[in-house]
Amino acid sequence: MTITRPTDLGAALARLDGTGARPRAGGTDLTACLAAGVVGPAPVVDLTGVADLRGVAWAADGSARVGALTRIAELGGDPLLADAYPALAMTAAALATPQVRGTATVGGNLLQRNRCWYLRNPAFDCFQTGGDSCPARSGDHLYGVVVDQGPCAAPHPSSLAVALLAYGASVRVAGGRERDVPVASLYDGADPTRDHVLGSREVLVSVALPVPAPGERAAYLRATGRSRAEWPLVEVAVRLVCEDEGTGPVSSASVAVGGVARTPLLLPGVAQALVGAVPGTAPDEGVDAALAALADLCDPLPATGYKVDLLSATVRAGVERALGLPEE
Amino acid sequence: MDVEVNGSSCPAPDGPGGTAAEHLRDRLGLTGTKVACGTGVCGACTILVDGSPTVSCLLPADGLAGRSVTTVEGLGGDHPAQRAFAAHDAMQCGYCTPGFVVEASAFVDTWRAEHGDTRPDRDAIADAMAGHLCRCGAYEGIFAAVADACAGAFDEPSDEDPPRIDAFDKVTGRAEFTADRIPEGTWEGVVVRSAHAHARVLSVDPGGARASDAHTSGTGRSAPAGDAGEAVPVLIDLLGSDRTVRYVGQPIAAVAAPTADGARAAAAAVSVGYDPLPAVLDTDAAQAPGAPVVYPTRAEQRAAPSYSEGPTPPGRWNGNTRGPSTVSWRGGTAVRRLRTATDREDPLLVAQEYTTATQVHSPLEPHVCVASWEDGDLRLRVSTQAVVQVADRAAARWELPRERVHVVTEFVGGGFGGKNGLSTDVVAAVELSRAAGAPVRVSLDRAEELTDAGHRPGTRTRVALLADGEGRLSAMTVDSYGDGGVSTGSNAATLAFLMYGRSPRRVRDFDVVTHRPPGKPMRGPGGPPMAWALEQAVDEMALRLGEDPLALRARWDGNPKRRALYEKAARIDLWRSRPRGGRTGRFRRGVGVAAANWMYLLAPRAKVELSVEDGALVARSATQDLGTGIRSVLSDVVADRLGVPASALRVEIGHSSSVHGTGSYGSRTTTSMGPAAAEAADRMRAALREHAPDVPAAGPIPERALKEALTGAEGVRVVGERRADRWGHLSPDMDDLALGRGLTGAVHVMEVEVDTLLGRVRPTRCWAGIAAGRVYSERLARNQCEGAVVQGVGYALFEERRDDPATGVVLTDNMEDYRIPGMGDVPETEVYFHQEGFEHARGGGVGLGEVSVVGVAAALGNAVRDATGVRPHELPIRPDRLIRGLR
Repeated sequence: MTITRPTDLGAALARLDGTGARPRAGGTDLTACLAAGVVGPAPVVDLTGVADLRGVAWAADGSARVGALTRIAELGGDPLLADAYPALAMTAAALATPQVRGTATVGGNLLQRNRCWYLRNPAFDCFQTGGDSCPARSGDHLYGVVVDQGPCAAPHPSSLAVALLAYGASVRVAGGRERDVPVASLYDGADPTRDHVLGSREVLVSVALPVPAPGERAAYLRATGRSRAEWPLVEVAVRLVCEDEGTGPVSSASVAVGGVARTPLLLPGVAQALVGAVPGTAPDEGVDAALAALADLCDPLPATGYKVDLLSATVRAGVERALGLPEE
Repeated sequence: MDVEVNGSSCPAPDGPGGTAAEHLRDRLGLTGTKVACGTGVCGACTILVDGSPTVSCLLPADGLAGRSVTTVEGLGGDHPAQRAFAAHDAMQCGYCTPGFVVEASAFVDTWRAEHGDTRPDRDAIADAMAGHLCRCGAYEGIFAAVADACAGAFDEPSDEDPPRIDAFDKVTGRAEFTADRIPEGTWEGVVVRSAHAHARVLSVDPGGARASDAHTSGTGRSAPAGDAGEAVPVLIDLLGSDRTVRYVGQPIAAVAAPTADGARAAAAAVSVGYDPLPAVLDTDAAQAPGAPVVYPTRAEQRAAPSYSEGPTPPGRWNGNTRGPSTVSWRGGTAVRRLRTATDREDPLLVAQEYTTATQVHSPLEPHVCVASWEDGDLRLRVSTQAVVQVADRAAARWELPRERVHVVTEFVGGGFGGKNGLSTDVVAAVELSRAAGAPVRVSLDRAEELTDAGHRPGTRTRVALLADGEGRLSAMTVDSYGDGGVSTGSNAATLAFLMYGRSPRRVRDFDVVTHRPPGKPMRGPGGPPMAWALEQAVDEMALRLGEDPLALRARWDGNPKRRALYEKAARIDLWRSRPRGGRTGRFRRGVGVAAANWMYLLAPRAKVELSVEDGALVARSATQDLGTGIRSVLSDVVADRLGVPASALRVEIGHSSSVHGTGSYGSRTTTSMGPAAAEAADRMRAALREHAPDVPAAGPIPERALKEALTGAEGVRVVGERRADRWGHLSPDMDDLALGRGLTGAVHVMEVEVDTLLGRVRPTRCWAGIAAGRVYSERLARNQCEGAVVQGVGYALFEERRDDPATGVVLTDNMEDYRIPGMGDVPETEVYFHQEGFEHARGGGVGLGEVSVVGVAAALGNAVRDATGVRPHELPIRPDRLIRGLR
């Protein structure tokens, strides 16, 4: 294993020459994957000195572009970001542990490997490690998907992706032709061999967020067994854009969920039903119906049937919190 | 580029590879930083990087370049957080403590800068400490310590000594655990384990390592090559003579090389030839007709490992089922009454089935041993709960005179029953060291620890209780099936026999063996699964009878100590103001109660030596402190008995060369060692009086008299023993274990809040009433009981080993997937000690480590039932199960 420390993006990309060298930012997931044998030793291109990947830039229209090296703790602790994109800041503050948030980066969070205990156990081969089947599907998949998109049964692990999906954010990708990829297209649920679509010569540069919506009410929450520091069974990010600086009825909404599918999912039906909802008031039957209809999305594996109920329950809890209803 | 570590500049690691934690420990010798989970979950390795708490096990070593690092050593020992941890006894074994303290130091500083000297609430502390786990469960102390440090209560050194005499060693990282100190030139050993659940091992190709028949080679052989860098790895065999593996992860061989990387490579190069055989991987399959039989011959059945703490009675085998082991009192009557009640559908018949999951000890310090042979002497540094036992068994196994085996255990990073005897790490290290001619360290990695270091087996238990027209217990049967993989020793039903008086009863224990890893005794073996079933069935009976569940227990239970606890519990606010009637809404509160008992065990051979060396008192014994605080108890007892300050005394434990000390299991350490220490103190007083007439016959020894006496008594040595109790014991001494008179008791009252929408149970408050006689050290005892609540909560809600159904591979082989409680998951706990009832026992008090854990999960189950109307039958009470139950 060798290491290089480029200081500009061009040099970094030159090092990622397709011969197996891999980029590293905070290194939290890569270190764990190396220890678990998910990946073998390979040359490392340390990105932490690449200035092009740093910082949060605000455009004249008020939108933000967040550098890939931004640490999750910075994302969660930046008052400007929290004001403009509250669901994102809430998500950043709720994921992993304080120490991991202080080290792990936005780019690394979006591109991390999934948490399947078969993937991370050297005793098994799966689609991601050169095998031709999914041992979780026939085995123990208690934490697996409930919306079945393809051969792999592991939910996508990135909570930030859920929030960014709710914002309609996109990521800038360098390497070859520089391109912008909507977060919705960063993952391919039908492809069981990898957890994101970027190529080995590509680097995620930044995340572009839309112009903030005034009057946004937001919530992020996750269903877990323990109160903290646990991967979500189901997670939801809710954005309600309300009239009258957040006190009036919902004019537009977006709801995204994680923990249920190979990719984070938008729930347009629930979002649509929330238009017109009034903060402080319980959602109407239309929302109930939209929540009930979430069951139609699901095709549970033998052990993930509970997630059908938990999906609608978690979304309901998220919606109620965003509407400012008392939790009791 | 350099890295600044604790204020000094040193070269940063240049190449990639390795973690910051490894660099700090192995290259810089800063072993205060511990590595436990290796996956960033437990926080034991937390350091400050540019002031920010960081898990150094996930930080690549080269990432330290240009950064400023503070480790626990760099905090200096006088940070308010460190003082607070010591004063509040916010620790037990101390293995997680450096990580907690580093995090707490940063949090306290930040909090005070932002909020002034105010107390953060429990939620804020739990948020800040979310990246830390303490397996001993010292969370109550940590909450108090962090809050008080934030409030500025520890800006000055405390005038009082901390309740734990080694507290400052633990909060500064000075406490040396087994892996922290290794001799120069120590090789690393790695165990090669079975990839199959059941197979004949046809061949073991050493793959370049030098295979050694350890049983026939001599000792002290020199390294095979002159230069350590060129040394050839060595391989030793660990498989029994039947050449059969019976679970994935079973040790087959071990290799050692001069470096850890070399050892891992050598292990990977070993090639094992298998002839796979059919395997049974769950108890249903094991009991099905025609199932492959794990132990087809009587000889194999007899050789099956046992997780029972005592001797295992012979048992009958039927395929993969062993048993029953039956205890009856008018058993025929009990069965007849229950049968009749079933036929007539008696409403006062409660017949239910309960299951528990496999709980893994998962101490944060793994099993680890450093072995070396020196001129025919065997030296072992080992993390064990039983120094003497390891030394005795090592002497027997390697045919050495006992005095030529030297076992050292300064600090133990948790054990909970799993660190006894000659475990794989010890055997491998000793054999490898002999083969290599060098010291060898074998440390289980987290996956090994969570797979093959023991567990509390799962159970399936059927309870039947019948009440008569007056609500008296008229019959009880319990049938329990233990799921201990290849091992046997289930006793859950047997323990139920001891509860609730003398009504007709029959209890039967069975074992169902499978091709899965063996269990080991775990804190209160058999107790928690027994209580999970019995105490919920009793709760159900109270509901049927329309009776207060405490009142019913008080009526059924003849044990006077527990009756005192019921009376006390009935008066606490948590019980009196509990919610009544049906509950509605998303969050529902409920309160449950459970009772427990445990045997009083003691070690009749326990001894404590007191000597005068260099004008100071030294107490020695070959016992060990796995976090319960025996080091402090010995100090307290001697100091108190002589009436001298603790500073006049040094305690040295953990060396097998000292006088006999008890192993720390069976709740017997304090009740055995404490009286021996008291007797030693009395003898020392008498000896001192011969040298200094100013030493009084009783009462405190004045400082000047003590000084004079110690000067005159240089070299004096006395030994105190653990004398028998008044009226003797119920059993003879069985290998330093005797059954004392009387049962200990516990009553737990648990309050929970259930999120009925998302299926999460949040324990909010707990009252733990413990009756184990006189308490030696109130704070240390309370700490243990608080930790028992934490472990019981883990058992109730989260902990569950899960195996791949097709291969038997343990999937929960990391601390992310094997889930233990964090600070945000535990109730505010109040411990009450009923200190009467053991006046006949030497010292007046007996062990409480086990009785304090038995009923916790059951109380929680009853609380969930009270809150939701849904009775949980399966452990753990996971969200998916609760959601299903609530539908």
